[in-house]
Amino acid sequence: MAERPDGAVSSSVVPSGDTLASSRVRKSEAGIEGDRVRPVRVIRPPAFSIGTIFSGVQTLVKYADLLWILSLFRLKVRYKQSALGWVWAALQPLALMTIYTLIFTRVTTISTGGIPYALFVLCALLPWLFFSSSISNAVHGLVLYPNLLTKMYFPREIIPLSYLAAGLADFFIGCVILAGFMAHYRVSPTWNLLYAIPILMVLAGFAAAIALLFSAIHVRFRDIGLALPLVLQVWMFTIPVVYSLQSVPVRFRKFYLLDPIAGLIENFRTVLLQGRRPDPSSLALSATIAFACLAIAYAYFKSSEATMADII
Amino acid sequence: MIDIQLDRVSKQYKLRTPGRSPKPWYSDPFRRRWSPMWALHNVSFQVRQGEALGIVGHNGAGKTTILKILSSITTPTSGEITVRGRMAALVEVGSGFHPELTGRENINLHGAMLGMRRSEIRQKLDSIIEFSGVGQYIDVPVKRYSSGMYVRLGFSIAAHLNPDILLLDEVLAVGDAAFQAKCLDRLAELRRTGRTVVFISHDLAAVYRLCDRAILMDHGRVVADGPPRQVIDEYQRMTFGDDTASLGAAESESPARCTSVSFSAPDSAQDIRTGYPMVARLSYRANQIIPAAVFRISLYWPSGYLCAQLTTDSSQGGFSLGPGEGRIEFHCPVVPVVPGLYRVDISIESNGREIDLRQRCATLNVGLGKFVSGDFYIESLWKLIEGSLPEEQTFR
Repeated sequence: MAERPDGAVSSSVVPSGDTLASSRVRKSEAGIEGDRVRPVRVIRPPAFSIGTIFSGVQTLVKYADLLWILSLFRLKVRYKQSALGWVWAALQPLALMTIYTLIFTRVTTISTGGIPYALFVLCALLPWLFFSSSISNAVHGLVLYPNLLTKMYFPREIIPLSYLAAGLADFFIGCVILAGFMAHYRVSPTWNLLYAIPILMVLAGFAAAIALLFSAIHVRFRDIGLALPLVLQVWMFTIPVVYSLQSVPVRFRKFYLLDPIAGLIENFRTVLLQGRRPDPSSLALSATIAFACLAIAYAYFKSSEATMADII
Repeated sequence: MIDIQLDRVSKQYKLRTPGRSPKPWYSDPFRRRWSPMWALHNVSFQVRQGEALGIVGHNGAGKTTILKILSSITTPTSGEITVRGRMAALVEVGSGFHPELTGRENINLHGAMLGMRRSEIRQKLDSIIEFSGVGQYIDVPVKRYSSGMYVRLGFSIAAHLNPDILLLDEVLAVGDAAFQAKCLDRLAELRRTGRTVVFISHDLAAVYRLCDRAILMDHGRVVADGPPRQVIDEYQRMTFGDDTASLGAAESESPARCTSVSFSAPDSAQDIRTGYPMVARLSYRANQIIPAAVFRISLYWPSGYLCAQLTTDSSQGGFSLGPGEGRIEFHCPVVPVVPGLYRVDISIESNGREIDLRQRCATLNVGLGKFVSGDFYIESLWKLIEGSLPEEQTFR
């Protein structure tokens, strides 16, 4: 029998005799639904396997509406009862930009290839803040309402992913400000700007990988949540946010670019501020590593999801 | 057709053992830090389509674990479960609400969590609000709701799911009487339309009323499976058996003890039925002379409130009782209470002081007899005093 979760009427499906009889009863008495084929589900002990990725994604698609609603509600709830509201989405990158600009133009200087430092750092801060805040929100979000995990079922990855989607909204607000700065410094974008879209997709994929992995472990070991602020702070200085890739010695760059974020942020800055094409080899490397991580992280998340309710 | 099939399902929980020694973790990093606890042991049963199955048992018998596994909240450690149909679980309704969001927003969120599509929610929104009776407060954040409103809204959403299989865990224990009645109506409607229901409750009367079949669980195993009445009797025996053992030992020096209580119809072939006679028998053993003794049999509603009492109390006070065993019979010409399962307390008083009390030691099962709506059957005769019947309908 085919899986039909929505209970929609389908004339092409001919139910078996038994189902037909029962649905006839239902039709006459309930009236609100027609024939439907009942999905058959088999519940077995959990296992770590690649197969869980496919079945997981299938279920996730069914719950797409929940992901959408939950992401919207993250945004709604986040700025509820705060006086400044949405201004906060812009305030964080602006404040960081200001302090880094002060440090790296007054205290010491860094070569930016002729780009004004404020613009240089803001352009990298936006994707980084999206990445880091999505992860830290997602990790804490999964354990924030234990009731959700112990009292009802829905694919658990929706919780971390909804924080990711909400982070994306903040990122776009930041981009409006970035556009303002670009206009102010008279940096005119070129069509290569469109490369930002695949870069962003890879970035979101990698953020999802880390968020899923960390949040799944965090349910078991709260050490993750405690270590996370430190990890993210150190991580930021290992990637070209406040400095450029050019400052990294050439012989280290190969290892350096194994971190997908490093390549992605450098490429993001290249396509936006310099109007050039991204470096194809580093983008391909980032994408490969990011999506491999995502597959493994998702399989791990699905296998640990099964017992999350027992452990939380 | 089988809707739910459990095949040798076991579930192990890991109980964390608290560190007994102050030794730090690195001194013995591979020590097992948990002990196994088997919540379910090779549980197998089937639920047919359209059947209402009640699961009863003591706390910790594994009832809720079954429900959690069925609803995918957790998974079995071994075994396999096949579920045919769309399932909805009502385990503590309203627990998925976000306090900051309004009632309306929570309907959207909660509905989606229960697996509804946005279009489906939009279509049923008015009906959900109507059913919940929250009405004018629907655009107020739910953190300002009373707990009753909270639960009503939660149940209302779940009741609109239209599942093939409905899992219920003690949901009827909440909400006021009017809302409970509404819930029962809704359940009956679902039953009529051929839905399968799995119902977990300590409210034995509700299990008796709602279910076609019941399962008794004990320490993670199925120990009885059959018609609700038999299974509930078995459960009561299990409970009563435990109680007499412990109570008997503790109060061995009490001056008098109740040893058994039973209810029957005068014609023992018959069941006890509303509107028909009943005999209650109470046996006791007195170790000494009991002055001014009074025996009481108290019947409790499933809700826990006192319903009625059979007593030997009279205006003259009690009567004196010699030592030894004895039996008291209460003859009731008419059982006035509605069909259902009543829990029974028995007690003996002497000089106004309670000397033996057995709480919830038995049940009284009243079957369908004379028609009654409301709580009590009131015997009455009626005739038309004024007014007239149409000619053609005159009764002779």
